[in-house]
Order: sequence, then structure tokens, then C-alpha cells
Amino acid sequence: MSRKAPPGARSTTITTTPSLPSLGPDEMCPVCKTMRYLNKEMKFLINPECYHSMCSACVDRLFNSGPNQCPHAGCHKTLRRKGFRAAFFGDLAVEREVDIRRRVAAVFNQKEEDFIDLQAYNDYLQKVEDLTFDLVNGNDTQRQAAEAELQEWEAEHKAEIERNKKAGREADEQSRRRLAAEREAARQRRLDAVREAEEEKQERARNREAELDSLAKGESASSRVQLKRRGQANRAAEAAANATATASSVAGASDAGRLSIRGLKEKKKAPAPDGPYDPFGGPVFVPSRYTVHSKLTHPKLEGLKNETLWRAGGYSFEDYTAQAMFEAFSGLGVFIEDEKEAGIGLSAGDVVGMAAGIAAVGDKMDLD
Amino acid sequence: MEFFIDDLRVLFPYPRIYPEQYAYMVDLKKTLDAGGNCVLEMPSGTGKTVTLLSLIIAYQMQSREKRKLIYCSRTMSEIEKALVELRNLMKFRADRLGGEEDFRALGLTSRKNLCLHPSVKREKSGSIVDARCRSLTAGFVKEKREKGEEVETCIYHDNLDLLEPHNLVPNGVWTLDGLLRYGEEHKQCPYFTARRMMQYCNVIIYSFHYLLDPKIAERVSKDLSKDCIVVFDEAHNIDNVCIESLSTDITEDSLRRATRGAQNLENKINEMRESDQKKLQDEYEKLVQGLRGSDDCQQEDSFMSNPTLPDDLINEAVPGNIRRAEHFVAFLRRFIEYLKTRMKVRQVISETPPSFLAHLKEYTFIEKKPLRFCAERLTSLVRTLELTNIEDYQPLQEVATFATLVSTYEKGFLLILEPYESDTAEVPNPILHFTCLDAAIAIKPVFDRFSSVIITSGTISPLEMYPKMLNFQTVVQESYSMTLARKSFLPIIVTRGSDQASISTSFQVRNEPSVVRNYGNLLTEFAKITPDGMVVFFPSYLYMESIISMWQGMGILDEVWKYKLILVETPDAQETSLALETYRTACCNGRGAVLLCVARGKVSEGIDFDHQYGRTVLCIGVPFQYTESRILKARLEFLRETYRIRENDFLSFDAMRHAAQCLGRVLRGKDDYGLMVLADRRFQKKRAQLPKWINQEIRDSETNLSTDMAVSSARVFLRRMAQPFRTKDQEGVSIWNLEQLRIHQKKMQEDLILELQAEQEKEVAAAEAARAAASGVGRRVVEEVSDYEMDEDDEAEMMALDV
Repeated sequence: MSRKAPPGARSTTITTTPSLPSLGPDEMCPVCKTMRYLNKEMKFLINPECYHSMCSACVDRLFNSGPNQCPHAGCHKTLRRKGFRAAFFGDLAVEREVDIRRRVAAVFNQKEEDFIDLQAYNDYLQKVEDLTFDLVNGNDTQRQAAEAELQEWEAEHKAEIERNKKAGREADEQSRRRLAAEREAARQRRLDAVREAEEEKQERARNREAELDSLAKGESASSRVQLKRRGQANRAAEAAANATATASSVAGASDAGRLSIRGLKEKKKAPAPDGPYDPFGGPVFVPSRYTVHSKLTHPKLEGLKNETLWRAGGYSFEDYTAQAMFEAFSGLGVFIEDEKEAGIGLSAGDVVGMAAGIAAVGDKMDLD
Repeated sequence: MEFFIDDLRVLFPYPRIYPEQYAYMVDLKKTLDAGGNCVLEMPSGTGKTVTLLSLIIAYQMQSREKRKLIYCSRTMSEIEKALVELRNLMKFRADRLGGEEDFRALGLTSRKNLCLHPSVKREKSGSIVDARCRSLTAGFVKEKREKGEEVETCIYHDNLDLLEPHNLVPNGVWTLDGLLRYGEEHKQCPYFTARRMMQYCNVIIYSFHYLLDPKIAERVSKDLSKDCIVVFDEAHNIDNVCIESLSTDITEDSLRRATRGAQNLENKINEMRESDQKKLQDEYEKLVQGLRGSDDCQQEDSFMSNPTLPDDLINEAVPGNIRRAEHFVAFLRRFIEYLKTRMKVRQVISETPPSFLAHLKEYTFIEKKPLRFCAERLTSLVRTLELTNIEDYQPLQEVATFATLVSTYEKGFLLILEPYESDTAEVPNPILHFTCLDAAIAIKPVFDRFSSVIITSGTISPLEMYPKMLNFQTVVQESYSMTLARKSFLPIIVTRGSDQASISTSFQVRNEPSVVRNYGNLLTEFAKITPDGMVVFFPSYLYMESIISMWQGMGILDEVWKYKLILVETPDAQETSLALETYRTACCNGRGAVLLCVARGKVSEGIDFDHQYGRTVLCIGVPFQYTESRILKARLEFLRETYRIRENDFLSFDAMRHAAQCLGRVLRGKDDYGLMVLADRRFQKKRAQLPKWINQEIRDSETNLSTDMAVSSARVFLRRMAQPFRTKDQEGVSIWNLEQLRIHQKKMQEDLILELQAEQEKEVAAAEAARAAASGVGRRVVEEVSDYEMDEDDEAEMMALDV
């Protein structure tokens, strides 16, 4: 239902409107000067070649018969019908910028995880932004330089770009799915709430009816009160059950929510650093019954402690003391008398077992 | 009077005390000792403020660590009132203790109320005063002057720098007026005096916003220490204050102005690049380092403010793609253009922040992270550019705040785009509401930071609703009843008109002539019998208008006119204040007046109708909110899903708290009296949701009345009230002097002792039983011991052996 005014009216409107330039770019086609006032359904199209806007009628008229020059004064770009589309933004400069950004973003699609630290990522971001800025606002030389850089980067990082693109698509897909799931869950909850309210209402009506019935039957007041109480108790119990059910379901939902966190890459854990090599794999040779002091002295060896001649051969006083202590203590815990009794050549374990046996049958032995 | 609660010496500046005041103090002390939060409801007009102050000051003065008190109230007049109370209290304490204490208290309010600059203070609008003040007092203005440039500064502000920074005013309680006078005398700026002295004060009194609105709180209340005692007085609306502080509306006009702001910003950047490249470079370097916010951005004159950001973000470096000034401006532009495009849609859209961000990213390649830093980055840029005419950038700031909020919070917020103002409108006027649904978000920092938060009001029922909605734990939740020597107020519920038809303002019947006539009759009848002033509350302006015009047609207004002057509240503040003034004059002279007003309007909150100014309050209809609003609907849904508060419960709670506020207007003290008439069928069931002190006084015989019955019982009540009433009659019942208080304390102690004894006995019995069940040997020993009748020491020894 186009409301095209007759041509006569149109000309008068134009002549009687002195404030033509004040009309916004949204209001008048710069090519054919049709105004929105005359054609409510007027649509503006642009071509990303030069971002000059014109109404759809002009596009049809000019480009139906193949490529043609842009009708804007001073613009000599050759445009095709296919390239025209409606602009998303009102400000065409922003539209152009976003188009450029789309191209840049397809190439520079590195993620924060790809960088060693935040600063490197930020520097990268700034570099990209600089490049984009040059592409958008720079003069010819800047633009060309930026363009070259862009292509160079693309050639250099082809594999990475592909990979990130794929990952990005997947992430998008996932986030979309999650949003949809959330919406669905919200809808479900709403429905549940409505149903709950409905049920409650019905329950109340039922109780009321039961009460009326009992009244009609002429039951005593006390039984009626009981009936009412029972109804209330039922309702309370039900509500409680519902509450726990919903609470558990909510807990479940939140569990699910926790599991489905997107965008958090499962970071590979670095293998724990191996400790120093342990040839014996377990046993410790640190003395347990005593500690070796560093202040131990020996009157005869005292002089040799710092003697270069001795030390050059590898002698160390500490080793000597450690050895001496070990020898001194290694005999403790061995009861020679007992061993003699039991016969020499038994291992320590046997000795212990035997001693225990002796203790147990001590009385008998005495008798013997 | 002076008395002790446990070991706390309380000085109360009046010779007598109400029993509920004492109970309030006891509970308050319990809370402070335990170091937790509490919700307390105390009837209006029973001296809540002075009770609070005298207990907390006593507590403060006695304890060693001197915990600071932050007292938040809602309006200027309440702040001023609290300051005057505090001054009286401190004077009393000085008299009693024989010397002034080392004590300082200040009130803080906006620049507009505290300005002394001869030309700035003449400005009408608060934001202009703010802007002009900043242009005179900003840090770089001073720097410039030091460099010898010719710039205008404010002498009042400059004088402050000559004083000792921690001693700008002497000790004492400074009311707002007092501060202004002192400032004039000593030629120093009262506003900055108050701001800078906040750290050195024992008590700060200011409005809710200074603590709840993250945009202001970060600047004003940042340095307050953790152990402060925070009090929210008149807090029945606190959830709405929280929500409002985090919600923004964006219109096409504001976007247009934001674009202009961005353009100006760009020009400025270009200018600066030519003149002073170094400054931009410095800023850039700083941002690279991530030193943002470390040094000078927290100064008091910082221009713009930022919404709450998590701490980890504050310390992070600004993302690389908005580090450079020109990049950031281009970024802002893109965002604004995107919003403009979204506003062109002609259907209602409501979406969550994540879905908004996803769409945004798809079309503009704006990521979430730089968006989060938007407000912060803008602040930094504005500071670097040394802009003074800040009001030009206000819309830009709004957009930046919106950007930060939308990218910071995933849950608890909703974007609602309404292209038309009403359902019937033809011309689109799109508004993008970014609305906060969760009151707990704004108040969370307060609960996290301060150990004791006290929420109190005259009408804060049901008490358990508030901890639920604001998501916090309480130590004490208490509602006090009003002790009265005579029944000085009469709440009645009228459900039927004189023709026995039920009356209600529910949507289906509100415009039926019979209902309207019945309400009219009710009004006429009460206008006949009420002495002096009478206040009538309607649920909304719209309904008030329609019902008044219908009454006019029915001749009801003419009838009322015979008995009283009729005055009406309007949305316009000036007109309303004129109406109020006339009303007061009329109440003091002749037969009084009827004030018709709205339950959610200005009159219903904060204006007292004490004594002859209000003898009857008539509440026509339950003041429900407008339920068709999309924002309200979203909030209801959120409450149901997150806090399990059902829609109807919340709506009815909200309506009843407003009704209670209205009712509380007439009773402002114990020697006051008044009628409270609730005229709606639905009040009958909602009775239990009224505050305890009102609900207690409703007798069953005074509910479910018809108009004529209500009138006859009101007559009886008014006749009784007309009898002489001496203060002496109240003593011992609703007012205690010191002796009576002592008696009460003694009794309480005895009760406590009895209780403890009972408990002890129980414990002993339990222990006995446990021992009896223990080994037989032990038992034998004990029995032998008791046979020998040893004294207690030996018994204890034996028991030790036994173990």
C-alpha cells in the first residue's frame, strides 16, 4: 500500500519546503530526491564499494541492466546490483568500519590463551587496533601499508587462523545452544509456576467443596474442623515436598550449569617436576638413633682437619666421625647374651620370635 | 537519665524512657556485641533516632576501639533532625560527665546544599552546581594557577589547604546549618570540609545513596574502616533504593547527546595532540602498566564515577585495544551507533546481558572485556584531557556506565526495550531500560565490608522478607509493640459501604458507580466527625483523578466541602508543597481540611501529620503497584526463581508496606491520637502483614465493618480521646522514669537468673542421669560419699577421681 502522491502535489511540496537540507540522510534519497514523506516504504541501500546510500528504486533503475557507475558526484566506482544491501548502522562511517573490522577479525583471531601473558595479549590487541585504525582512517599510504601487513600475517599464520576459526565457531555454537537451553529452562519454570498456582487454586476449591458437603450432611462441627485441618496439613506437606523437589532440581540445574562453563579451556597440567634421582628407591640412610654433631673433636685428628695434604686425598673429618658414630651405635639393640643362648647364626627376626616364645612358655622352661 | 545495660553506661537525654526504647537498646547492644546484622521495627513516633544514637554513642565511648557510626537516612530533613538529636545528646553527655568529650559528628549532603561560593550557590540545579564547583576546585586548576596561569578558583576551597588537614573543624556536632555558618565565618568550604573530615569523625550522617549507589560510594565512602557500625534508618524502601542505584534508562535523546559528547572528546584529543602530546603519552604509559586507579584517580574531585567492579578487575591492565585515546573514542562511537540501531526496533524486547553481548559481538566486534573497562577508561581520559564542562559528557558517561554494568553482571539484570511509551501510543519513543532485578547486588559490598549493619524503620514488616531479598544473615530480628496507657489510635477495616455492598479498588470494580459512591459516603461521613485534619490516600494518581471527577459528578465533593477544605496532591512538587502549607493553615484554623494524596507519592513518605494535622487517615484501596509494567514483571519472576518469593506474596508485601507507611503518618508520639481507616475488602485478609504494633491494636470487632458501623465506633473513640489526659497517667505504663526502669531491669535480671537456674538444674539433672548410667563402681563411691555428708570440696575431688 504505497501512498504515492500525484506528481503535481509532489512538485508543490518540494517548492514549498525551503528547509530541504535539514532533512536527515534517512529522509531523502540523495540520488532521486524522493522523500520519506512521499514514500513511506522507502528503503536505503548501500554498496560496500563506496558506501554511498540510495533508495532501492534508484538501485533497481540504475543497476538492473548490469554494472554501472555510482551516481554520486565525484565517485567513479563501478557497482553491481549484487553488492547492494541495507545498512545495519545509521552512521555509514561506522558501517564501513565494521566491515573492515570483520575482515580484520577473520585474520587476527588469536585468543588470550595463545599468549604467554596478559601484556603480550594486550600488545597484540593494540597492534591489531592500530592496523584497523589505519585501514579505517588512514591516508592512502597508511592504508596500503596496513593492507600489506594484514596479508603478510594471514600468509604467515594460516594454520593457526584456521584452527582458531574453527574453535570460535564451535564456541559460538555452544554459547548459542546454552542460551537457547537457558531460555527453554526459564520457559519451563514459568509454566511450572503457573501450573502450581493453578493446582493450589483447585485444591482450595476442592477443600471448600468438601467442607460444604460435610455441612450439607450435617456432620458435627468438630469433624468439620478436623477436615479443614487435614486439608491444610495436606497442602503444607505438599508444598514442602514441592519446595524440596524444586530445590533439588535447582541444585541439579546449577550443577549442570557448572559443568557446562564454556570458554574455559581445559588447561593441560604441566607434569610435576621430578625430584632428584634416588637410586635405592626408598630406604633412608640417615641415622635415626643419634645425630652427628659438627662440633665433634678428636684430639689426635684435630690437626689433620685442615691439613691440605690429607684433604687432597679425599679425607674428611666429618666422614670419619660419622663412620665412628655408626660403628659405635650399630651394636646397640643386639643382646649378645640372648644370642649366645639361642645359638649363633640366627637372624635378628628369629631372635625376637624366639624371645617371645621363651617369655610365653617361661613357666614350663623353669620346670625343665 | 542515666542507667546501665549490662556493663554499658547509657546516658539518655530525657528524664523518662519508653519501655520499647529500652527493649530496642537491649537488642541493639546484643547485635553490636555479637558483631552481626539486625532488622528492627519500632513504631513510628517513639523516638527511634534518639534511642539508636544514645546507645551507639555510649557503646562507642565506652569501647576502646571507637567504632565509627555511619547513620544513613533518607531525606535531608531527616538528616538534619538526626543531627539536632545528636547535638542534644552530646550536650547532655557533656553536662553529665562534666566536660566535653573528644567527639566529632558531621552531616554530609550534596554540594547544592552546602555551597558558599557567591555565584555558584545561586544555581538552581544540583548537577550544574556540581559541575561549576568542580571547574573551580579540580586538582589541575590548582596546578595551573601555581604555574601562574590566570584561572578562576574558589576562595572557600582554597582556604582549606591552609588548614591542618585532619582538623578542619573543631570537635562537636555539626548540623548542616552550623557547618554553613562556620564555613561563612572562617571562609572555608563546608562541603569539602565535611568530605575531608569524614575520616576523622566519630559519627557521619548522610543519605542512603552515599553508601548504596556504587557510583558515589566508591568516592565518598571508600576510606571508612571495616568496623564501622552502619545504620539504615527508615529502611523500609531500601530494596528499591538499591535497585534504582544500579539501573539506567537510555533514550534516543541521550544517545544523540552521547554521540555529540564523543565528537567533542575526539576534537579535544586532536587539540591536545597538537599542544600537549606528552600528557596523552603519559596516560598511555600508565595504562600499559596497569597502574590504573593507583594514585590520583581516587581523589575527591575526580569527575566521573564508576559502577562497582570486582577487585581483580581494578588491578588489571586496560585491554590493549582501548589503550590509545583515539581507539577508545572510536570504540565508544561504535557502541553508541549499535545502541541507536537497536533502538529502531519497533517491538518490545527483553533480553539478558549475555544474549545482548553475543549480539553486540556479532555486529560490532566489541568484546566483553574492553566493554567492562569502559567507564574506567572514560574517567581516565576525561582526567587527562582536563575537561571542566563535565555536564556535556554526562550522557556519554551514562552510556559508559551502562556498558560496564552490562558486561560485568550476567545474572540479576535485564535489558528491556520499550519502543512505545504506552500500549496505545502511535509515535515511537524508545527507551532501553537496563534494570537491576536483584536488590542484593548493590548492598552486598556494604554487608561484606561492615561487620554490623542495622536496618530499622517504623514499618518494616514482615521482617523476614528483608534478609531474604537482600540476602544477608541477621543476629536479631525484632518487632516491638507500642505500650500505650490509653488506646490512642484506632485502626479499623471497612469492607462494605452503608448499603452492604463490598468496596474494593480491584481493577474490575473500581469504576463502578456503587463502589465510587460508597467510597464517597465514607469520605463524607468521616469528614463530618473528624476534628481538624484528615488525610486520604489513593492507590495511584490515575485512580485519584478519575474518582475525584466522578465524585464531582455525584455531588459528593460539595457535601464534603460543607465540612472541610479539600486539597489535592499533584505530581508537581511545588504545587504539592503549596497544598500542604494551605492544609496546615486550615488545620490550625477553623474546621480543618481534607488532603487527597497518593500512597506512593511524596506526601506518604516523610511528611508527618502530627496532632491536629492528622486525626484521621483514610486508606482507599490496597496500594498495589502497577502490575503491567514489564520491569516489575521481570523482577517478580526473578524473585520467584532466585529467592523463592512468590509473586503475590511480594506484591502484597509491597502494597502493605506502603499502606503501613500511610497509616504511620498520623501517629507521631504517645500523646498523639488518630483514626486509621483501611477501606477495602481485601484488607481483611492482609491484616497479618501490617506491622505488629498496628495489627495488635485491631480488635476483631473492628474489622469487616460497614461504613455506618465504622462511623459509630470512630465516634466513640473520638469522644474518649477528647477526655483530658494527663502525662502522669502514662507513667509506669508507657513511660518509665529511672526508678521504674530500675525495677524493670531488676525484674529482667531476676527472670534471667531464674531462667539460668532452671537451665542449670536441668543440666545437673542430665549430668546426674549420665553418671547414673556410668559404671557401678563409680556409683558406689558417690553414694558412699553422700552418705558421709562431705562438704562440697571433697565431693568435687571425689568426682574428679571418679572420672
